Amino acid sequence: MQWWSWIVLAVAVVVLVVVAVVAVQSRRRRGGVIVDPAGRARGRTGGSA
Amino acid sequence: MRLMRASEIVKRPVVTMRGEDVAQVKDIVYAAAGGAVAGFTLAGRGMFAGPLKLGLTWRAVAALGAEAVMITDESVFEPTEAVLSDAASGRAGGNVLGSQVLTDAGVDLGKVIDVIVAVGDTVGGQCDVVGYEIEASAALGTKGTKLLIPLPDTIAASASHLVVPASAQGFVAHDLAGFGAAVLAFRAQLEGGG
Repeated sequence: MQWWSWIVLAVAVVVLVVVAVVAVQSRRRRGGVIVDPAGRARGRTGGSA
Repeated sequence: MRLMRASEIVKRPVVTMRGEDVAQVKDIVYAAAGGAVAGFTLAGRGMFAGPLKLGLTWRAVAALGAEAVMITDESVFEPTEAVLSDAASGRAGGNVLGSQVLTDAGVDLGKVIDVIVAVGDTVGGQCDVVGYEIEASAALGTKGTKLLIPLPDTIAASASHLVVPASAQGFVAHDLAGFGAAVLAFRAQLEGGG
């Protein structure tokens, strides 16, 4: 392999790693709405399920 | 009282009164008993940031604005467990998005695609889950459409199934504009009938 092909390969690996890290962290940051079964009501009245 | 979708709050930046952008909202946590929003779990800001081990309780929120969640400073953050309590242990809680909504008569109304939150206008006012936005099932006659369904004061909820009174079908709305009145009418009907 030519010397410059190693540089191209190294840059490609770095780019792939950065893209993968950003994708994983983006997925971990993705939110939702969590129901807490142990959560307390705050003085609510009336109604029934 | 303002109504907003949970999806509008998720990813909203958390900003201190000094103007520092310190985190963003990851999850909204609410109590199965009563629907009161307990607080938020947090994620860091920036492309490389992941979830934080810190949470923000609702009582520590100074204001929930259209563009940001305002807090006095970072000292109001608490460990995530303080917000999640037993939901963190995976006992029965979990993400309700995608959960099936059933009536107390056992009819499948559809799947939750968003949650409707009512926010008090005053600082320190209540913040409650008052309804679900669902992708309707065939039982509602409009399969696949997005509908808003009101919740009673007492919510029966686990991550997999959310149970609502069968009479809620009579109070569905198509947009947030008329949904506040639908929630009040539904709850008044439950109190009158209960």
